[in-house]
Amino acid sequence: MRKKGSRKPTGKFRALRLILLIGFLLTMALIFLVSTLGNQKFGPLHELLLEAAGPVQNLFARGSNAIRSLKQNYVDLLSVKQDNKRLSEELQECRNLSYKNREALATNTRLRKLLDFKETADLPMVAARIIGKDPSVWFKNVIIDRGARDGVARGMAVVNGDGVVGQVFAVSPNYAKVLLMVAPSSAMDVLLQKSRVRGILKGTGGLTCRLDYIQKTVKIKEGDQVVTAGYGGIFPTGLPIGVVSRVVRNRRGMFLEIEVKPAVDFTTLEDLLVIEQELVIPEKNVDGQADRP
Amino acid sequence: MFVIVFFLVGLFLIIAQTTVFMINPVWDGAPDLYFVLVAYLAYRHDILRSLIILFSLSMLFDVLSGLVLGMYPALFILGFFFLKLMSDRLPVRESYYQVPMIGVGFLLVHWLVYVCMSFAVPSLLVPWSWPKMFIRAGLVIFFAFPLFRFFEYINRRLQGNFTGFSKGRLRSGNRYRE
Repeated sequence: MRKKGSRKPTGKFRALRLILLIGFLLTMALIFLVSTLGNQKFGPLHELLLEAAGPVQNLFARGSNAIRSLKQNYVDLLSVKQDNKRLSEELQECRNLSYKNREALATNTRLRKLLDFKETADLPMVAARIIGKDPSVWFKNVIIDRGARDGVARGMAVVNGDGVVGQVFAVSPNYAKVLLMVAPSSAMDVLLQKSRVRGILKGTGGLTCRLDYIQKTVKIKEGDQVVTAGYGGIFPTGLPIGVVSRVVRNRRGMFLEIEVKPAVDFTTLEDLLVIEQELVIPEKNVDGQADRP
Repeated sequence: MFVIVFFLVGLFLIIAQTTVFMINPVWDGAPDLYFVLVAYLAYRHDILRSLIILFSLSMLFDVLSGLVLGMYPALFILGFFFLKLMSDRLPVRESYYQVPMIGVGFLLVHWLVYVCMSFAVPSLLVPWSWPKMFIRAGLVIFFAFPLFRFFEYINRRLQGNFTGFSKGRLRSGNRYRE
């Protein structure tokens, strides 16, 4: 074991170290001066230093990026719930808006059709909306949001942009009940538009009607248009009723069996027009039939 | 209070039936919710109060639906007495057995009223259709159980018993007639 005193540098060695240190500093100063004041050339020494520092820098940069990324991910994760909620709300808003737009477009189309019809028909009309529907399976009628105060009276014709819908059969000051054309109790005078032959259109309770009293001698085919005859003054002449969808020629009997598909789509019925014509309807005849349209 | 509250409940059912459940004016699949109320009153309550509620509701329904005035009072009252009679005569007072009876009562009462009306006003009616009526009866049965629980809940609230849905059905230890 060596003694402690033997490890102490000698004066000679200390001087050598000092000289080396000064030499090193002078060399560095020289290099600095040469590189700064010289031709600014990126020499081999610079390259060596760069090569030596590069990997360390790279390592630190990667580490730093990884830490920053980790931190960012964590922060993002914290905010993702809020973002999710916000985006869900935005999506819901967009969906609602889209639904409203579609609905507005459909309403616009429907009302434009009604307006066109109102303008071309040139008759006094009042617009109405269906607010209630008859839930029974035996009758077909609807309740509209217009009544006597709006000029609606019993017997008035009800139409929409496609054609005839039915007829008003009960009125209160603000509301009215409309018997649909497809109801079995509904009957109206109609014409085959092409041949001008007159018949009676009756409801069947389904989505089609039956055209009665057309003689077998009449030339009629599927697709023929049926319009209102205008007799009785309830419906103006020429309002579209529907098209002939089936013609059956029975061996027996004088008349054809004709099925008519209404021009109005009763499954999408919403907005209506009541034709405000002056009507004279007897309150009640002997068998009470006049009370019903 | 009972009469007023159940009248309002019936009114709500009728309004729902003529608006929400009627998808379009020619829709045949709307459930006859009023008949569930008729059945509930017939099974669980006394005649006088039930008839006051049913008469007023049927008059209202007559205005909102149909062409023949008096048809719904007939349906309500016939349905009520038929179900009352059956609930009194049935050996079992268990709602699992009473619910299908509502469907049977619905079909029978509607058929009877239809037959009577087809003599009186034949031209006004849509032809009778068994498939449609079976579907309607099925819907009545389908809605009967939840609506019974709802009515029972309201009834308990009216009586000041706030136990809610937990005792939805009136049950005693004895499932047979006491």
